[in-house]
Amino acid sequence: MRPRWLVHAFLVVLFVGAACKGSRPEEARSFRIGVITSLTGPAAAFGQAHKNGYAVALAELNARGGVLGKPIEVLYYDDQSKPDQAVQGVAKLVDQDHVPIILGAFSSENTRAIVPAVIQKQVPLIMPTATAENVMESGSPWIFRICAGSDTYAGATVDFLTHNGAPKTLAIVYENTNFGQANAKSMKTVATAAGMTVVDEEAYQASSPDYKALLQRVAAKEPEVVYFASYLLDATTLLRQSEQVGLSPKYITSAGTGFAAAEFPTEKGAGKYAEYTFSVAQWLPTAKWPGSKEFDDAFTKLTGAHPAYHAAEAYAALIVAADAINRAKSDQPAAIADAIRKTQMTTPFGPVQFDAKGQNAHPVLVTQVQGAQYKLVWPADVAEVKPVPTPAWSERH
Amino acid sequence: MEAKLWPTLQAVLNGVLTGSLYALIGMGMALIFGVMRIVNFAHGAFLMLAMYATYVLFDRLGVNPYLGFVAAAALLFVVGVLNYQLLLRRIAERSDFMQILLTLGVSLILSNGVQLLFGADYHQVNIPLLDMNLHLGRHISLNAPWVLSFAITAVLAIGMFLFVMKSRFGRALRAIAQNRYAASLMGIDVLRTQALAFGLGLAAVGVAGGLLLPVFYLYPGVGDQFTLKSFVIVVLGGMGSIEGAAIAGVVLGVVENLTSLYWGNEWALVVDFAIFLLVLSLRPSGLFGSQRV
Repeated sequence: MRPRWLVHAFLVVLFVGAACKGSRPEEARSFRIGVITSLTGPAAAFGQAHKNGYAVALAELNARGGVLGKPIEVLYYDDQSKPDQAVQGVAKLVDQDHVPIILGAFSSENTRAIVPAVIQKQVPLIMPTATAENVMESGSPWIFRICAGSDTYAGATVDFLTHNGAPKTLAIVYENTNFGQANAKSMKTVATAAGMTVVDEEAYQASSPDYKALLQRVAAKEPEVVYFASYLLDATTLLRQSEQVGLSPKYITSAGTGFAAAEFPTEKGAGKYAEYTFSVAQWLPTAKWPGSKEFDDAFTKLTGAHPAYHAAEAYAALIVAADAINRAKSDQPAAIADAIRKTQMTTPFGPVQFDAKGQNAHPVLVTQVQGAQYKLVWPADVAEVKPVPTPAWSERH
Repeated sequence: MEAKLWPTLQAVLNGVLTGSLYALIGMGMALIFGVMRIVNFAHGAFLMLAMYATYVLFDRLGVNPYLGFVAAAALLFVVGVLNYQLLLRRIAERSDFMQILLTLGVSLILSNGVQLLFGADYHQVNIPLLDMNLHLGRHISLNAPWVLSFAITAVLAIGMFLFVMKSRFGRALRAIAQNRYAASLMGIDVLRTQALAFGLGLAAVGVAGGLLLPVFYLYPGVGDQFTLKSFVIVVLGGMGSIEGAAIAGVVLGVVENLTSLYWGNEWALVVDFAIFLLVLSLRPSGLFGSQRV
C-alpha cells in the first residue's frame, strides 16, 4: 500500500509545484531580492536587527525609485536559527520565487551551510554578518562578504591589548558552532604570534542554563584576558556566572556579536554585567562615514533604539545589491554578480569594494561598555574615551 | 590535593542545585510514564508554557517569579487534566506510536502558538535576587536564586513522593500502574485518576518552569533540550519510578558539572547521552529504583 501512497503524494507535489511555476507573471511588477536570516529561534534578536536594517534600506531605495524602474520587494526566509532550514531557504527563494540574488544568512554556521547551495543554484550571495573565515574558503565567484572576518577581529583585539597594559595570558571561551570555533582559532593564532600565551580554550553549547563549571576551569588558570565568542543569551549567563565563580580577568574582551548587540548593555540583556566589557565592532552610530547619522536616525525612528553593527551590515548589503543591479541593468544572476564584483561605493557602513575573493576590506573597532553605552576606545586616534581595565567583581557593587 | 578539592566541591554543589530542577522535571515525566505509559514528547513544551506564564505574571503584574511559579503550577495542572481528557484519553487504547505523534503535535502547537502570541524574541527577568551570591568560606559561593529554587524543589519533591506513596490517591495511581484492568475492577475510577496524574505531572513541570525562568531566559523553543534530558532522567531512574527520577535528576546535574569541570563543557551532553545508551542497553530497569508508581 505504502509505495502507491507515496507515488500519489509525489505526483501531487509535482503538480502543485508546476502550478506555482505556471502562475508566475511574465513581467513582475516588483524586483525581488531574497533574504535569509534568523527571525525565530535563539538568534532571533539578531535576525530582527537584520530585518530592521533591511527595512530602512528598502524604504530609502524605493523612495528613490527602486531598481530598474521597479520597486524592490524583499522576500524573507526565516531559517529558524537552523542551518538545514537556511539551505531550504536557498531552494525556496531561487526555485519558487526566482530571486536573482540572496542576502544572508545571519550566523556563520547557517551562512557556511548555504554557500554550496548558492553556488549550485548560481546566484550571487552577499553575506552581511558571518565572521567565520571558512564561509569564504570556497573562493567561488558567487560569494561576497561585506563584514570583516574573525582574523580581523582577533587582530584588532590583540592590537588594542598590546597598546593597553600588554597582558601576557589569555583564555578563549567560545560557543561551539562555526562562529565560535572560527573566532577561537583566529584568536589563538593571532595572540600566539603576538607573544601572548593562550592558557585555556573552552568550547560550550549555547542555550545551556549552567556554565559555572566551565568558568571555574577558566578561573583556575587565572588569565589576564578572557576572549569570549558568544551570542546574546549565553553572553548574559556567562557574565552573571563569572561573578559567582569569581572569574575576574583584567580584560573581558569579545568577538562582538552577543557582546555587541544593541540589547546587551540594557536591562533586556546583561545590564550592569555588561559594564566594562570590551568588544570588537564593525560599525557604531557615531561612525564618521557619510550617511551614518542618517541611517542611525532612520533606524531609531523605526525601532525606538539605536542600531548595532548587525543592522548596519544588513542595510549596507541591500544598498550594495541595489547599486549592482542598477549598474548591471539586468535581472540575471550572472550579470548582477559581475556588477557586485566591480562595486566601488561609500555606504554609511563604510567604503565597499570587493577583492578577488569577494571580501570587502572593512576596518574593525574596539568598544567598551561604559555607562550602559558602547564607547569607542580603539584605534586610539578616533577613540571617544579612555579604556578602563575590567575591575574585579568584588570592587563593583 | 587541596587545590582540586574546592573546585570539585563547588562543581558538585552547583550540580546538585541544577540537578534539583532536573529532578522535578524528570519526576513529572516519570509520573506520567509510570501511570499511563505515555512518553510525553511535549514535556519541554509544557515547561516552556510554565515559563511564559510566570513571565507574563512578572511582566504585566509585577509578580515575583518565586511566587508566580505557584500560579504556573496551577495553570499547568489544569492544562494537564484538559490535555488528558480532551486528547490523550481518546487514544489510550491505541498504539504507542499514536501517543508519540499526539504529544509531538501538542508540543509543536504549543511552541508555535506561543511564538504567535509573544513572538520569537527572547525574554528574561531581572530581579535583585539574581545578583546575590552566598559565600561559604573562602572557596565556595552559591548563587542565591539557585539555592532558593533548590529549597522549594526539595520540599515539593518530598511532598510529591509522600503523596504518591502514602495517600489513597497515590495508592490508586500505583494500582493503575500495576494493572489498570484490575484497578478498575477494584473500584478505582481509572480515567479520573489518570487525568489527575497527568495534571500532577505537569504541575511539577510548572513549578520547575517557574523556578527556572529567573536563572535562565525564555524563547518559544527553550523547552526542547529539557524533553531530551527528562528522557535520560526517566531511563536512569528506572522507567516510571518517581523517587528514582528525583535521584537521577540530581545525579545528572552533578555528572554534567563534573564533566564540564574536568573534560570541558562540550562533553557534558555527550556524557548525558552515553549514560542514556549504556543504561538502556545494560540495565534497562534503571539505576535508582524500579517502577512503583
